[in-house]
Amino acid sequence: MSLLEVTGLNTYYGDSHILFDIALRVERNEVVALLGRNGAGKSTTLKSIMGVVTPRDGSIVFDGAEIVGMRSHAIARAGMQLVHEDRRIFSSLNVEENLVLAGLTAENRWPLERIYEIFPRLKERRGGRGTDLSGGEQQMLAIARALIRDPKIVLLDEPFEGLAPVIVHDLVKACRDLADAGQTIVLVEQNLGAALTLAHRAYIINNGHIAHEGPTSEIKARPKVLERYLGV
Amino acid sequence: MLRQRPFIVEALTAAGLIAAPFILPYLGFTPTTVNRILVWGVFGIGFDILFGFTGLLSFGQSAFFGIGGMVAAYLLTIANFPYVMAALVIGMIAAGIVGYLVGLIALRRTGIYFAMITVAIAEVFFFVEFNPLSAYTGGENGLPGVPTPQLYLGFATIRFDSDSLLYVFLAFWYFVGLVIALRIVRSPVGAVLRAIRDNPVRAAAVGHNIHGYKLTAFVVAAAYAGFAGGLLGVMQGFMPPDAFMFDTSGQLVMQTAIGGAGTLFGPLVGATVWLYLSDFLQTTLDLGATWKLVLGVIFVLLVCFLRRGLIGGIEDLYGLATSSRKKAEPVKDASMVGVTAEEEEKDTATRQPAIAAMPARHRETDRKTGLILQAKGLTKHYGGLAANTDIDFALSHGELRGIIGPNGAGKTTFFKMLTCEVPPTSGQIILEGRNIAGMTVTDVCQLGLTKSYQINQLFNRLTVRQNLTVAALAALRGKFRLDLFKSLKRVPGLDEQVEHTLKLVDLVERADTPVSDLAYGEKRRLEIGLALATSPSLLLLDEPLAGMSPRERVETVRLLKSIARDRTMMIIDHDMDSLFELVERVTVLQEGRVLVEGTPDEIKGNSKVQEAYLGGVHGVLAAE
Amino acid sequence: MINWANFISQCFNGLVLGALLALVSSGLTIIYGMLGVLNLAHGAMFMLGGYAGWLTYSYTDSFIAAVLAGAIFVMIVGVLVERVIIRHFYNRPHEDQLLVTFGLGIVFVETVRFFFGSLSKTVPPPSLLVGITPLGFMFYPTYRLALLGIVAVALLALYVVLYRTRIGMIVRAGIEDSLMVDSLGIDVYKVFMLVFGIGAMAAGFAGIVNAPVVSIAPDVGEAILVQTFVVVVIGGVGSFPGAILGGLIAGEIISITSMFNPGYSYVMLFIAMTLVLVLRPYGLLGTAGRE
Repeated sequence: MSLLEVTGLNTYYGDSHILFDIALRVERNEVVALLGRNGAGKSTTLKSIMGVVTPRDGSIVFDGAEIVGMRSHAIARAGMQLVHEDRRIFSSLNVEENLVLAGLTAENRWPLERIYEIFPRLKERRGGRGTDLSGGEQQMLAIARALIRDPKIVLLDEPFEGLAPVIVHDLVKACRDLADAGQTIVLVEQNLGAALTLAHRAYIINNGHIAHEGPTSEIKARPKVLERYLGV
Repeated sequence: MLRQRPFIVEALTAAGLIAAPFILPYLGFTPTTVNRILVWGVFGIGFDILFGFTGLLSFGQSAFFGIGGMVAAYLLTIANFPYVMAALVIGMIAAGIVGYLVGLIALRRTGIYFAMITVAIAEVFFFVEFNPLSAYTGGENGLPGVPTPQLYLGFATIRFDSDSLLYVFLAFWYFVGLVIALRIVRSPVGAVLRAIRDNPVRAAAVGHNIHGYKLTAFVVAAAYAGFAGGLLGVMQGFMPPDAFMFDTSGQLVMQTAIGGAGTLFGPLVGATVWLYLSDFLQTTLDLGATWKLVLGVIFVLLVCFLRRGLIGGIEDLYGLATSSRKKAEPVKDASMVGVTAEEEEKDTATRQPAIAAMPARHRETDRKTGLILQAKGLTKHYGGLAANTDIDFALSHGELRGIIGPNGAGKTTFFKMLTCEVPPTSGQIILEGRNIAGMTVTDVCQLGLTKSYQINQLFNRLTVRQNLTVAALAALRGKFRLDLFKSLKRVPGLDEQVEHTLKLVDLVERADTPVSDLAYGEKRRLEIGLALATSPSLLLLDEPLAGMSPRERVETVRLLKSIARDRTMMIIDHDMDSLFELVERVTVLQEGRVLVEGTPDEIKGNSKVQEAYLGGVHGVLAAE
Repeated sequence: MINWANFISQCFNGLVLGALLALVSSGLTIIYGMLGVLNLAHGAMFMLGGYAGWLTYSYTDSFIAAVLAGAIFVMIVGVLVERVIIRHFYNRPHEDQLLVTFGLGIVFVETVRFFFGSLSKTVPPPSLLVGITPLGFMFYPTYRLALLGIVAVALLALYVVLYRTRIGMIVRAGIEDSLMVDSLGIDVYKVFMLVFGIGAMAAGFAGIVNAPVVSIAPDVGEAILVQTFVVVVIGGVGSFPGAILGGLIAGEIISITSMFNPGYSYVMLFIAMTLVLVLRPYGLLGTAGRE
C-alpha cells in the first residue's frame, strides 16, 4: 500500500478550477518530484494534500486513512508536514522557539541536538530572531521545523527558490542525506537540476492536469518531454 | 427593487404614509410613537446611504443628530430666530459641515479603525455638548421651548401643534428625504458608492476617486442626521441632551440592521419594530426596563441568522416562493482535454458577429503611431530583495505583447509598477509621453492604462451590467463628479459603452445576472470587461487564462484576439501554447531583468530562454 | 499658580488609570491580533467582572475571592462567546462581526441591569488597604496606590505568559500567522478560544479591581470601551507594547486635563488620537497590514 495515494483531486480557488482530477501516489522512502510551469498547480496540489486548501472532490489516503477535508493540524498530527513556499518563519519568535513550537504536539519529536547536527548554522543562530536569518538559513529552519516532528512524509514547496547556487548545493546535499536515511519526500521545484538529482520519480503538471509521470531516469533520457511542458 | 420601476417606490411610499395614520392606531401605535418612527426614519435614510450602500459602519451618527438638533433648537429658543423651517435647514447644514471635517479625519482609515474612530467621535461630541458648550445646549437639561412649525398660507396659518398635524409635517419631510435619497441612490454617485462597498480597491482601479465619494456619503449621512435632530426638537417641543448619547448611534445601527441595510426603508422598518416592541414590552407586558434586553437578544439573533434584516428576509422568502431566479449557465465540461480550435470555431462562429472598435476616449496625447509606453531603468527593491532591476521596455501603439518568465522573474511586480500599485525604487515610466511614476492607480486609469486581474476583482453584489456601468462611469465622468441628483439614464454615452462592452465579452444574455450566479468563465470575461469598459488605450491582462479548462482557454484566446483589434495590450501568462498563439512579440524576464525580446518563434528557438526555464537540467543531463 | 501637590496627585491618578487602560486594551488588542475580531463587548466584560466580583463579595466578604471570581467568570464568558458565536463569524464580513459583538455587549449590560438594577454598587477595598498613605508632601489614597501595583503585576503576568511560556509562544506565533501554527499540528481554533478568554479576563479583572475606586454600574463599561479604542488606535492594533504605551499616554491625558477642565479630557484624547492618525497611521508601535 502506498504511503500517500491521491485520486480524482479537484481543487478550486473560489470558483476558479485549478486542479483537474489529479492522481498520484508516493511510496515509502521515495522522493517524488512535481514539475511544471508557474501556475500549473503544483503548489496547489501540495496545499490540497496538507489541507491548507480544501479540495472540492477527490480522495487523499495517507498511511491508510482518508484525510481529505481534515484540517491541517489533524493532518500534521497524522504525520505529514508541508514546508511552505514562502517559508513562513515566525518573526516574533527566535530560531529555537520556532523549532520548539513546531515540535510541541509531535509524539516522537526529534531532540534539538539532532536538528542542530543536520543544520549546524541554526545552532549558531539559535537565539536570533527567526527572520533575521539569511534566505538559505530561513529555508533550513523551515525544513528543520518540519523534520522535528518526525514526519512520515515531507512536502517541500520550492525549497531552492531564490537562493544562491552555493546554498542550493548545500541544501540539495542535506535533502539527499535525508532521503538516503529513508525520509519520504514530495518535492515541488522549478530548479530542474536539483529536482531531477533528488527524485526517483516525477509527475509533470500542466494547466492543472497530470501530463506525464515516470521515473526520473526515463525523463532524463527523453528531455523533449521537459521542453514540451516546462519550456517555451 | 429600488431601481426597476421608477416612481413606483415613491408612489407606494406616499400611499403608505397617507394610509398609516388610519391603520396604525388599530395595531397599537400611539401617535407619538408614529412620529418618533418617522424621525428615526429620516435619521436612518442618511445612515443607510453610508452603511448599507457604501459599506461604512459608523457608530458616531449621534454626533451629527445632536448638532443639527441643538443648532436648530438654539436658534429657535435662545436666539429667538423666528423661522422654524430655516432653523432646521441651518441645523442640517451645520451638521453637514461638521460631518465634512470629521470625515476628513475618520475616513483616513477603513474597517475596524473607522468603526473605533466613530465611536470615539460620538463620545467626544457628547462630552463637549454636556460641558464646555452647555450654555448653548442646555447641558443636562437640554433646550426646552422649541416652537412648532407654522405654514403661512396667506389667508390662514397652520400651526403644526397637534400630534396629527405634526404627523403630516414629519411624513412630508420623510417623503422629501426619501425622494432625494432615491435620486442619490439611482445616480452615478449611487452606483459608485455600491462599488466601493463591494470592492473599494477595484473601484479605485477603474478610475474613481473613492475617498471623495466616501466623504460625500459621510456628509450626506451627517446632513440627514442633522435634519432629523432638528425634527426631533420640533416634534417634542424640547431638544433633549441624550440626542448626542452613544446610545442613539447604537440604536440607529441596530434598527437599520434589524430592518435591513441597503434598502433605504430598513431603518424605518427597524424603527417601527423597535419602538413598537419597546412600547409593547414596557406597557402591555409590563416588563419595565427589560425591553432593551429583549430587543438586544432579538438583534443578536437577527445578525446571526437573518443577515439582511427583515426586508432581506422577506425578499428571500419572495424569491423562494416565486422561484424566479435564473439558473446559472452549466459549467463548461472540464475534462475535455484537447478540443481543437477548429471545432470551437465552427461551434461558436455564429455567436460572434464582427465587433466594431469601441469608441476610444479622446485624450490629449492620442496618437495612433509611435510608442504608447516606455520604461527606463525601472527597478524595484523590497528590502534586500531585487524584484525588478533596470528594466528598459518599449511598447508601440496597437502592439500585442506577451510577458513571460520563470518563477521569480518579476512579471507581477513589473505590472504593478506600470499600474502604479507599487512605486518604483527608481526609473521612469512614460505613458504616451507622460511620466506616470508616483501617480495613483486611479489617475493612471484615467490616463488610459487599466489592468484586469489574475484573481477576479468584481463587484459581487451587483449584476453584470451594473459592474460594467461602474467602470464606464469613471471613463465618462472622470474620477470624481458630484452628480448626486442625475439619473443614470441621463449620462451621455453610458448605455452605448456598456452595451458595447457586453458584446465584446459575450455577456449580453447575462447582463442582468448577479455576479454570484455566474459561472467561472463568465466571471473571467466580466473581469476583462471591467477593464475594457474604462476605454483603456493600453490594457494589461494579468494571467487571463488562470484556472481555466482547456475549452475555456480556447474561447478566451479567441475573445482576446477580437478585443485586440484597435487596442494595445500586454499579457502575462504561463500557458505558453495559448499565449504564443495570441501575441505578436514576447518579452522574457528572468530574475528581475529583461532577458530577451522577439517574436514567439524566435523565443521558442532561443536557447537562453530554454535554459532559463529548464534551469540547470542540461548540466544534469550532460553529467549522465 | 499650579498646586503642585494636586498636579503630582493627578499624575499618579493618570498612572493608575493608564495602567488600568493598558490592561484592558491589551486584552482587546490580543483578541484582535489573533482572531481579527474587534470585540465591541469588551467594555461590557469589564463591567461583568465588576459585578461578578461584587456578588461574590456580598456572599463571602473576601476581596480576594471577589477578584478571583470576577476574573474567572469573565474568562468563562469569553470562552463561551467565542465557541458559540464568534467562531461562526470568521468568514463573515467585518461589519457583521462588529454588529454581533456590539449586540452582545448590549445584552450583557441589559442582563445585569435586569438582575441588579441601574443603581451603582460599591465594593469596599480590603481593610488592609483602606485610608490614605503619606507620600512625603502629599497624601494619596492607599487603595489606589495598591491598585497601581496590582495592575502592574497583572500586566507583568500577562507579559510573562506571552513571552515566557509555551502557550504565549503559540499565541504570539498565532497573532502573526495562525495558518502556519495550524500546519504545525496545533489546533488554532482551541487557541482562539483561549485567547478570547484571556483577553476577556483582562477586562474582567480590571473591572473588579477598579470597583473600589469607581463604583460599578451597568454603564461603566461604555466609557472604558471608548477609552480603550483610543488607546489601541494610538498604540497600534495588535501590539501588546502599544497597548501599554497608549494606555499610559491616554491615562495621563485624561487625568491632567481633568485638572483644568474635566469636560475637555475627551476632547484632548480625541486630538491626540487624530494626531497619531495623521502622523503615524498605524499607531505608535503598530505594524502595517492590520486593518
